[in-house]
Amino acid sequence: MSAETKKPGVYLCSGCGIGDAVPMAALEKVATREYKIPAERCKTHDYLCGEEGLAMIRADIESGEVNQAIIAACSPRVNVDKFRFDGTQVVRANLREQVIWMTEPGKDDTEMLAADYLRMALVEARKVGLPSRYEGESYSERILVVGGGLSGLTAAREAATMGYEVLLIESTSVLGGHSRRWSKRTPHLPPYREPQPNDMEELVAAVKGESRIKVCLNTRVTKTSGAPTDFTVELTQEDGAVTEERVGAIIMATGWRPYDASKLGHLGYGISPDVVTSVQFEEMLATGAPKRRSDGNAPKTVAFLQCAGSRDDDHLPYCSSVCCSASLKQAIQIREADPSTSVYIVYEEMRTPGVAEEFFRAAQAAGVIFIKGKVKGVTAQDGLTVKVDDELLREEVPLAGLDMVVLATGMVPNAVLPVDDDGEPLPECDINPMSPIPVAGYAGEQPEAPTGQPCVTYKGAPILNLQYRQGPHVPILADGFSDSHFICFPYETRRTGIYTCGPVRRPMDMAESAEDATGAALKAIQAVRAISQGRALHPRSGDLSFPKINLNACTKCRRCTVECPFGAIDETEEGYPIVNPTRCRRCGTCMGACPVRTISFDNYTVDMMTSMIKAVEVPDEEEEKPRVLILACQNDAYPALDMAGIARTPLSPYVRTLPVRCLGSVSLLCVSDALSSGYDGVMLMGCKSGDDYQCHFVRGSAMAQERMMKVGETLQSMMLEKERVETFEIAIADAKNLPDIIGKFMETIDSVGPNPFKGM
Amino acid sequence: MTKPLPQTAARKYDLGFAQWVYDNIEGGDRISLCMQCGMCSGSCPIGDQMDNGPRKTFMMIRAGMKEEVLSSSTIWNCTQCYNCTVRCPRQIKVTAVLQSLASVAVAEGYAPQKPTLKFSKAFWRSVSWFGKTDERIVTAIYYFSYGLMEGFRLAMANLPIASRMVKAGRMGLLLPHRTKAAGDLRAIVAEAEKIQNRKRAGS
Amino acid sequence: MSAAVEAAETGYDVVLLEAGVSLGGRVAQLNRYFPKLCHPACGLEINYQRIRNNPKIKVLTQTRPVEVSGSRGAYKVTVETTPRYVNARCTACGDCAKAATTQVKNAFNYGMDTVPAAYLPHPMAFPMRYVVSPEVIGTPEAEAIKSACKYGAVDLDEKPQTFDLHVAAVIWATGWSPYNAEKLESYGYGQIANVITNVEMERLAADTGPTQGRILRPSDGQEAKRVALIQCAGSRDLNHLPYCSRICCLASLKHAAYVREQYADSQVDIYYIDIRAHDKLESFYKKVKADPQVRFVKSKVASITEGDGGKPVLHGEDTLAREIYDRDYDLVVLAVGMEPTGGLPVANSMTDDYGFVVPHGDDGAIYSAGVASGPLDVSMSVQSATAAALKAIQAARGGATA
Repeated sequence: MSAETKKPGVYLCSGCGIGDAVPMAALEKVATREYKIPAERCKTHDYLCGEEGLAMIRADIESGEVNQAIIAACSPRVNVDKFRFDGTQVVRANLREQVIWMTEPGKDDTEMLAADYLRMALVEARKVGLPSRYEGESYSERILVVGGGLSGLTAAREAATMGYEVLLIESTSVLGGHSRRWSKRTPHLPPYREPQPNDMEELVAAVKGESRIKVCLNTRVTKTSGAPTDFTVELTQEDGAVTEERVGAIIMATGWRPYDASKLGHLGYGISPDVVTSVQFEEMLATGAPKRRSDGNAPKTVAFLQCAGSRDDDHLPYCSSVCCSASLKQAIQIREADPSTSVYIVYEEMRTPGVAEEFFRAAQAAGVIFIKGKVKGVTAQDGLTVKVDDELLREEVPLAGLDMVVLATGMVPNAVLPVDDDGEPLPECDINPMSPIPVAGYAGEQPEAPTGQPCVTYKGAPILNLQYRQGPHVPILADGFSDSHFICFPYETRRTGIYTCGPVRRPMDMAESAEDATGAALKAIQAVRAISQGRALHPRSGDLSFPKINLNACTKCRRCTVECPFGAIDETEEGYPIVNPTRCRRCGTCMGACPVRTISFDNYTVDMMTSMIKAVEVPDEEEEKPRVLILACQNDAYPALDMAGIARTPLSPYVRTLPVRCLGSVSLLCVSDALSSGYDGVMLMGCKSGDDYQCHFVRGSAMAQERMMKVGETLQSMMLEKERVETFEIAIADAKNLPDIIGKFMETIDSVGPNPFKGM
Repeated sequence: MTKPLPQTAARKYDLGFAQWVYDNIEGGDRISLCMQCGMCSGSCPIGDQMDNGPRKTFMMIRAGMKEEVLSSSTIWNCTQCYNCTVRCPRQIKVTAVLQSLASVAVAEGYAPQKPTLKFSKAFWRSVSWFGKTDERIVTAIYYFSYGLMEGFRLAMANLPIASRMVKAGRMGLLLPHRTKAAGDLRAIVAEAEKIQNRKRAGS
Repeated sequence: MSAAVEAAETGYDVVLLEAGVSLGGRVAQLNRYFPKLCHPACGLEINYQRIRNNPKIKVLTQTRPVEVSGSRGAYKVTVETTPRYVNARCTACGDCAKAATTQVKNAFNYGMDTVPAAYLPHPMAFPMRYVVSPEVIGTPEAEAIKSACKYGAVDLDEKPQTFDLHVAAVIWATGWSPYNAEKLESYGYGQIANVITNVEMERLAADTGPTQGRILRPSDGQEAKRVALIQCAGSRDLNHLPYCSRICCLASLKHAAYVREQYADSQVDIYYIDIRAHDKLESFYKKVKADPQVRFVKSKVASITEGDGGKPVLHGEDTLAREIYDRDYDLVVLAVGMEPTGGLPVANSMTDDYGFVVPHGDDGAIYSAGVASGPLDVSMSVQSATAAALKAIQAARGGATA
């Protein structure tokens, strides 16, 4: 829709008290006189979202008079369904929540604020384009599942059941992973008290019998190039044979491996063949009653040592989650097989969350003895002896005469392929889970920051070997697990169309892994479906716009390729950026990064933003009405401002808020244009960045903050004070704090004085 | 049928004693379910007077500490308020277990320590006089068994416990009523003693 | 919401039933999430927007299913709506609230404060629509509320309605209620003002809560600086909830952080049986534990009495020190467990003994998600909702049963 074919209609709502607080005629004049909207296409209604109001708009659209509706009423966050007119672009001006609900009615300042928001909407309508979807050449809807264990098999079966073709890759010669070798599984069905039959054989058979699933054993992915719905994966078999396959989405279900027991000498591993890991013990159970490796006799006394390597700063800092239940299961199995066997579980915290508490009780009822304490050492005296600092008896106890000791070893995620070769690069890990918790202060001396290794890095090769500008790995967190770091959206990795599930993401048991894999299968299906329709994935689900780059103006600075939180932009050999639109999540961080405005979306451009900023009427210095621009993240800061309005919190009428997709999409040019057009200050409101980030585009707000650290240079070149621009981390829940935050900034601006660019 | 009490174990966590307790003590079958939360000892109006308290006693049973358990004051000190039994999240009959252990201790010749013995004598005297236990009578007899002045001293020192017992509804402030059929009770007690003695002779 | 959004974004039509007045459930009432201490409102906003922007989702609030019949691919769900007395004409302008004179208990804040009898359920309510409390229906006040509305949105004659929906599959995502703390007799909840529950603590710490986010003693509004958090208040207890509610340990660690964030000289004691900071959440435990003003006491508190000045006094045994204590605090928070929402029209064969809807091995298409399926945290609930969405759309597609 070009400017010539646009037929904007302006619809002003005087309801909800807007008409009482602001003279509607003045607003109409803004539209008709300043912006030359024909009077017959500028209408005021006292109940625009009511049936009559909506019918009025619909009539104009149906008559062909209007193909763009500018609604100056309530917040764009509400009445989305009512103000949806298929095929018609809707632009909203927020006169209710952010004008009349936070300023004094009838004042000039309130009217000016409302008029400015209308102007911004009118300019937005002029500048905004109707996005045309991205068209790929063809779309693959096939799903690649990497890993043939419980998670991978489940994901493959569930996707195939939905009718999707699946390519399942397994690096070993058999399907089923670790869990296929388990004698029994921990209970996940009521009454949750008995070890349950291992149904892995059935799952393996179901996958083998499914015609939509192609299984490749002894195979690794050696290269992944392309983008969602058009990935090309290079598969290398053990014998060196290389093939290529095309897939649409990827599920990474590479699972886990037991922690290297050779590092557990302090728990007796290696001192006797009868000190074994829980995995080794499980293998014994699977082949019949456990026998001592030393003499082949059935053990009469067995001790399980929990947290063998887990929750240990020298080994794995996290809790491996499944080991408590796994030991309970093994202990119950031993007692069932021979009730005269003495079985001990030495633990520090018994972690059987949820209904697994039932299983804990079942083990207790089965006569398993639980000893809470730290293991001080394991020796091969008097059979085997475990020295325990028994915290409940409050004495050091030698647990002597043991026939076997089982170490409940932890889970190490297969986020990388382990390599022996020292020359392999370490993957870059981010997101440190040990970032400190904020406290008001300490009564005494400030303690040292919590110890423990902040980052577990495993030497290893990438699993998918992504041919992305941003590296071959699916991002790995500092605790060694793969993305995601979201609580609300656990499937959202930073590599679009690639989903991780099962223990590669978080330590989890079989039941949870199966559920996680089912969810991942849905996400993969959703991805190929949405993308083949040109629609964006979470969080801007359904958005058709995507970044377009004008290479003629590109300076090859590479900022866009570096900053994209999703690795969507690659580089040509000459150093030009190439956008992979199907990897893109539409945050606009590339647009904000570009110093020369070469990147734009059909409906979101730097030009649109700066034009909207400039649409605001900046009063002369003499009027002593400062203007402050707020660039507010659409998801958090902008709703926070709405919340302040809903609570009728008075805020300064001198601020003008422009919602942005993500603070990452804000170009320095928006800031410099605002200042050169006379705004006295600029507040940038984004989400929390850092290890506990809340940015839905992961790095958007962090990138904006980095960029704004350099704003000083811009300000200096304009001979302006650095205080005029400030970045804030604002959550929706900060609504209450906004008056204070904005009030303080206004004071700062007052003390710095008016912008000398005013009126120029 | 009661099995003989196992020999004192040579090492900690020998399960012989624990198993014996599970099999032979009233309520013993649920001791293995104890999760060491401390609800019992914490609910006990005289928890701070017990050497181990029920929770630790259960741990000691599982650790095979026969001597320590049977010679502890805990099994004698129970005032039978049943707070522990009612509140135990694992529904262990704590009161019954302690009581049964005490009777085992007597049968096995674990003479209670001097103060405990005095306490239990006082307990019995209260029963035989009033047909029921009354904490005030029991403690009064118990304290004054040490002599008049010492009795006052002990009583004053234990005032906080007394007040807690009153709060727990385990101790009234008025003189106890005699059980209506105190005579019948004495007959029942005598019969019970006979049965117990027969049992012991049989084991 | 997660299941609805995921199914709809995969291209399927969804009817989302909510028994309450707003979407968002318990999450909307949380102040922060563990372990990131981020605000649930943030993800809630995203999901609200995803629903607003997706015409495939039809939301019906104050609606609950009363009967489910039929089979995989063809269920008939009979639903019942309760009146809101405010219809879709509502603009959320708030004039009705100004006309209300009666104050009613604010359910959003667990009754810790009041709202006018015409109220917005909470600032982020979805739908953004007021409610008239049934308490004033039939009074002149209701008429006043009605006439205050310029848009004819107040409909005092609304009646409960029953109608049928025809769907291919059903997902129970009916969540939980906090365990009734009054059943924990020895803890004095309801009698001792300064003994509150963990869900109330969330509201106390929230800016939209009764104290505007300040952690104050309910008895006198004084700052609560000495705070005890009591784990397994009802959970892991055969007399109450036999299972572990999973989230309470982590939630209490978070509550310790709330207190420590507000008061430099605060002391928080956490009374626990086992700290179940499972999997990666261990790091959160470690971080909180590193604070010398947060103490961990391995003890199930036996009882709470009221001491001088309204101070709750805790009685119990510190099991590691083998010590009987009587300690007083400004505020005691009971970490009550999660009880699955009862009264669902599901066959007994579909639930376990506790009332969680579990896999039941028939060839139907009735699934559960989130805490309806077991005691789960937020992330696990989203996982289970996403999985349930796939199982449900498999039935809608007529795919093979699995």
